[in-house]
Amino acid sequence: MIDIILQVWEKQDLSTKTIEHLAMFGWALSISIILGIGIGILIYKKTRIANVVFNILNIIELIPTLALLILFLPILGLGASPTIAACILYSILPIARNTHTGLTNINKEYIEVAKGLGLSSKEILIKVRLPFSLPLIIGGVRIAIVFTMGVVTLGGLIAAGGIGETIQTGLQFIKMDIIIVSSIWVGFLAVFFDGIAGFIEKKLKRRFDFGKSI
Amino acid sequence: MVNLFDILVIEPLPAHLMLTVGALIISIIISIPLAALCLYNKKLATIVISFANLVQAVPSFAVLAIVVPLLGIGFTPALFAIVLRALLPIIKNTYVGLSTIDESAIHYAKGIGLTELQILRYIRFPNAYPAIFSGIKFAAILANSIAILTAMIGSGGFGENVFKYIHQYNIPFLIYSIIPVIIIAIFIELIFNLMEKKITPKPLRVK
Repeated sequence: MIDIILQVWEKQDLSTKTIEHLAMFGWALSISIILGIGIGILIYKKTRIANVVFNILNIIELIPTLALLILFLPILGLGASPTIAACILYSILPIARNTHTGLTNINKEYIEVAKGLGLSSKEILIKVRLPFSLPLIIGGVRIAIVFTMGVVTLGGLIAAGGIGETIQTGLQFIKMDIIIVSSIWVGFLAVFFDGIAGFIEKKLKRRFDFGKSI
Repeated sequence: MVNLFDILVIEPLPAHLMLTVGALIISIIISIPLAALCLYNKKLATIVISFANLVQAVPSFAVLAIVVPLLGIGFTPALFAIVLRALLPIIKNTYVGLSTIDESAIHYAKGIGLTELQILRYIRFPNAYPAIFSGIKFAAILANSIAILTAMIGSGGFGENVFKYIHQYNIPFLIYSIIPVIIIAIFIELIFNLMEKKITPKPLRVK
């Protein structure tokens, strides 16, 4: 059993593939987090613009993953860049939406108290609104992690490398050992990162959830 | 031109629709009763919901691949893979919809002598419709998305053209061959939005 796994691992060079995979995942997720939170902050006071932005992002979300990858081919060619671009487009919505919800659905009393203390609206944003939104924002990041893992894996189909490529090799030649090892490995990675994000979410919820004390 | 339309749209359409709609119907049939059962069996609920949460994180491509050693290739394994994916959002949303309900409504219902089954039918389900519906909508979008991928394991459908043109690196034809799937996705969204408005009980409608 372990022999077979090690054999597949070495033959398919899964160590390199995993590094490629995680590199794409890391880049895509970091950029999505920056853009998502940025967009959420930029539009939290502008309801009209927020509606337009979220409608556009919602439509992007409808497009099948593979179709989105293909739509990027003429612009970005084959490889990692269309994959990362597709990841980002999918992942912005959950992060931006949750940031927006967190920033706007805050207890009015906190805002009043902060205003009474003489904080400017920028200070209120940084010291009151953002900390209270953290649990929701990380919830959005968690959804983005799942999306990003899915798209990065599919990237194997358009020569982006990563574990998806190994799965594709397995499927093409119907090599059961390759299929099983690579798909379970990528499944494990996805569950692992989702679990870490879930853990952080729980901690933050405990830290910033004051709803009951008031 | 007519010939092209045949190859790109007419020929792959039946397999694609059978995969998407078939998987969706099977998922609904399995998951709604299962979610209702979870309501009365806390142990089952914990198992099902934590399993659903766990599997939902696994990439669709990996789910599709892992089906091959179990069931081989062809239409049925492809259908199975899509069902495996489409089940989860429906189960989760149905369970959440059925279980998060105003306790006083249940008390009143018991007070006027409704049985558990009647409470489920007349109180819990109508209350859960919006949640169930958004779960089914999400599952439909997901099924439509994965139905392209399943061409890799020989299910037919639009994916067949996609993979053919990826090998030839024929970008214009690649774009043509995915446009129908995008249109179907938007169509699904529109239909479900319409149905959602119709099926939501009046007091729960957002004005």
